[in-house]
Amino acid sequence: MSSGIIFDIQRFSLHDGPGIRTTVFFKGCPLRCLWCHNPESISPKIELAFYRHKCIGCNSCVLVCPTGALQNDNLKGKKYDEKFCRFCFKCVDACPARAIVLQGKIYDLEEVLDEVIKDIPFYKQSGGVTLSGGEPTFQFDFCLDLLKSCKENGISTALDTSGFVSWDKLKDLLPFVDIFLYDIKHMNSEEHKKLTGVPNEIILENLYRLDRAEKWIEIRVPIIPGYNDSRENIVAVANFIAKLKSVRRVKLLPYHKLGLSKPWLFNNRRGILELEPPKKEDIEKIKDLMGRYIDREKIY
Amino acid sequence: MAILTYQERIGLLRAKKLEHTREKQEIVGFMDHDDWGLILPPQEEREIVKTISSSGMPITDVLLKSFKFIPNHPSGGFFGPKSCGENFRRLLEVHPVYIDPISSLAGAYMVNFMSYRNPHWNPDFDYSYLHREQKLYQLVTGIGAAQHFCQDMEIGLRLGWKGILDKIRYYRKMNNPESSEFYDGLESVVLGIQDWIYRTANTAKSMAQDEEDPELKKNLLEIAKMNERLVNEPPRTFREACQWILWYLITARMYNGSGSLGRLDVILYPFYKRDRDAGILTDEEAIFHIVCLLLRDTAYIQLGGYDREGRDVTNPLSYLILEAAHRLRIPTNIGVCVGDGLDRGLLYRGVEILLDDKMGIPKFLGADSVVNGFARNGYPLEIARERAYAGCHWYGIPGREYTIMDCVKINFATIFDVALREMMQESGCNPSTEELWNRFTKHLKIAIDTIAKGLDFHLEYMHRVFPELVLDLCSHGPIEKGLDASHGGVEFYNMCVDGAGLATVADSFGAIEERVEKEGRITWQELMYYLDNNWAGPNGERIRLIMRNTPRYGSGSSISDEYAVRISKTFTKMVKEKPTPNGYNMIPGLFSWANTIPMGRNLGATPNGRYAGDPISHGANPDPGFRNDGAATAMAIAIASVQPGYGNTAPMQIELDPLIEDEKEAVENIANLIKVHFDLGGTMVNINIIDKDKILEAHKDPSKYPDLIVRVTGFSAYFSSLSPEFRQLVVDRIISEG
Repeated sequence: MSSGIIFDIQRFSLHDGPGIRTTVFFKGCPLRCLWCHNPESISPKIELAFYRHKCIGCNSCVLVCPTGALQNDNLKGKKYDEKFCRFCFKCVDACPARAIVLQGKIYDLEEVLDEVIKDIPFYKQSGGVTLSGGEPTFQFDFCLDLLKSCKENGISTALDTSGFVSWDKLKDLLPFVDIFLYDIKHMNSEEHKKLTGVPNEIILENLYRLDRAEKWIEIRVPIIPGYNDSRENIVAVANFIAKLKSVRRVKLLPYHKLGLSKPWLFNNRRGILELEPPKKEDIEKIKDLMGRYIDREKIY
Repeated sequence: MAILTYQERIGLLRAKKLEHTREKQEIVGFMDHDDWGLILPPQEEREIVKTISSSGMPITDVLLKSFKFIPNHPSGGFFGPKSCGENFRRLLEVHPVYIDPISSLAGAYMVNFMSYRNPHWNPDFDYSYLHREQKLYQLVTGIGAAQHFCQDMEIGLRLGWKGILDKIRYYRKMNNPESSEFYDGLESVVLGIQDWIYRTANTAKSMAQDEEDPELKKNLLEIAKMNERLVNEPPRTFREACQWILWYLITARMYNGSGSLGRLDVILYPFYKRDRDAGILTDEEAIFHIVCLLLRDTAYIQLGGYDREGRDVTNPLSYLILEAAHRLRIPTNIGVCVGDGLDRGLLYRGVEILLDDKMGIPKFLGADSVVNGFARNGYPLEIARERAYAGCHWYGIPGREYTIMDCVKINFATIFDVALREMMQESGCNPSTEELWNRFTKHLKIAIDTIAKGLDFHLEYMHRVFPELVLDLCSHGPIEKGLDASHGGVEFYNMCVDGAGLATVADSFGAIEERVEKEGRITWQELMYYLDNNWAGPNGERIRLIMRNTPRYGSGSSISDEYAVRISKTFTKMVKEKPTPNGYNMIPGLFSWANTIPMGRNLGATPNGRYAGDPISHGANPDPGFRNDGAATAMAIAIASVQPGYGNTAPMQIELDPLIEDEKEAVENIANLIKVHFDLGGTMVNINIIDKDKILEAHKDPSKYPDLIVRVTGFSAYFSSLSPEFRQLVVDRIISEG
């Protein structure tokens, strides 16, 4: 049976596609978006994270660590040296307060299915399962198996993807995906690379192909003030979308600081950009601007 | 003054309401209950007293200086129908008149007759033989509980006050002399009400004379004329019907706190239709009259639902009543029926208003589960469908069913505590969860038996202590038979027995099985040590968290989930096993109302990591923080799985983040959540949509948000009126972390 590394399964998820959904968050992502709001999803490995505000200082974790990889630290509460870690995760079991937790867990397909089928009664009205991350296609086999199993169970599926994946792979997923949630982060490839670490050609090419496959597509445009919200880029994005036939809606995702407030990962990874979130009226202006090129009703 | 629009008048009425609320907050202090619509008496009439609230907490209340009751018992109290009726009549006769020239309806109530009652129970009727068990399990017994059933308002609307009086006098002749005191009591109440209405009509007339604004003058003259007529006659128009209902409601509220109203859309529809057809009423006017009604009493109202034959009764007025609550934006208690054969539009409109106003209004009622569940008590579906929503979490067949809903509570957590201590103190007993379960069920059974005996006692004597003299007036049977509703006057007796603290106990069982038995992380003796010491000591917090972080009820597929279902099923089976010794049917439900705080206050620490004295869990709800994602669907499935299933409810109380609104399908998603919960067997849904930062700020300084309204449990209230302890309870539900 296939298995994958999942960092969260969130039920009653309302922001990852239409209806009431369960979102399965895959670990591992080829992109390095500066504003990443799920920094814990970037590494494909299982990692330790520490919620300092939950720690009661009982020291159970340090006492149980066989190698001393975990130590007390006056400043941060705990410090952790990955190179000494045997990944036994005894510290996680020992922590009574759930202050030290795993980011990522190996799930069998069955385990994920057990969780996602719980909300089938709700999906029947509207909704389903969304595979998100990270980048779900980064664990391609597990992604494919999960999508297939969902379809076998009559569950509507959505794939939240950066699109940075080979078309050959994406093509194999097509029969098992009902809805694509697809990001456009910047229309200029060089800028895209600066913002995300990867160019955008393959992403846009894949989107064209998906469009021709007549899939239900929601385009998602993160709005990062000063980075991709120039008039020029917004118009370019809108123009690009205008040429697509299968785009049902366009969702703007205003930058927020959630990535900065996520639990402290021991390797200290977190969102890099610290900006003021865009104002509501600025977002409305962008919607209006895009609305000149595409049906305003589709944009939200 | 220029002619005001209805919306402007509503604005002025709401501002006045806020002023009244601020005044109440200053004089009375915290109000951990329904707002009731009470207005303080004029300053010179106020007598401020310390008394005990219905939830057992010390409160301040205001009495009328000009009224002193006449006792009829050596204890200094007054008991029985004649004395209660006559004292109440005397109170009504001195009760100040209240008329707001902006409102289309007159009247407001200013004092609780209940607060004059001291002692509440007639000591001649002794139930000390039940005290041992009642005390051991800290039962909320229902003995002495008033109201909490639903009148049939159509009786009053058909007869008017004179008609009711004639009916009393007619049956008095038939049933005298044995029921003479009862009829004396009923008659006194009606005469008192008539006097109050008559004085109001006269006051309106004289106010009209002094009023210079022609619009207000006209309104006052209309009020005078309408009320002059309503002293005797039944209402003819929609406005008169609203005014009649208001008199009844505030009288019932003043007498013993009754807030039941039931199917307002059905009750008022004939008046609405007649006036609309005759061209003498617009929808805007209808909305305004309902606003004026909602303003003065926070009565519990059902919208939509089935008629006897199973047809949908939703009508245009159902929407107008929702609209009235939406425009008024004060605490109201309106429930929208949701069911397979019911208008889905009403559910959608209800959800839209819930999202727009963020006041926890309306709530949603699972019509199919409630009807089908009630039928399992042996009633035909036709009768089951008549049951109407009429209180915090409860229903009643209007005018035909006596229940004392919401007044009988068994705290599962106390039963658990007794069982655990008994097991651990018994020498030679080998502790195990199975042994604990056996003892838990043994004590639960004794508790239910004690409740049953207490209910019989109540039904035997309540009518001689404090009879239902107002609700009797609009019930089928009490006047006809000469018997109070609490003593055989009505047709059906379905006594409520609610369980409370389900999650506290399910999680405690789960934590012990997981941590003590399976993992062996702590021993039984250690557990008892930490419970006795309220988790104190160097290791206490660590142990507490080990217990607390066991997968909880609501997380889905956990041991605690299994225990929750097992507890509910066992409780239901025991309640349904047999009627009370005197043969009265009992119906199980799961609801703690605001009792979570007092029920927790006297309880030591529990193995689910709860500190001694902290509130117990709320109704059928999982404990806050039951899952990392707090998923509403997980909660909906869990609560559906523990429904007792006999027509009394186990509501779901849910708090949603306003971010939900950002999605295109926000209304559909919430409607879907509600409908599926009901499809799975759920019975009632209360939803708050509140921003975390806002509630935290309001908790810190309530005066910053004087108009913030929250659904506390079954009732909605101004957040700023709640005590810090109660505000904390609401805050904890919203900001909980898994």
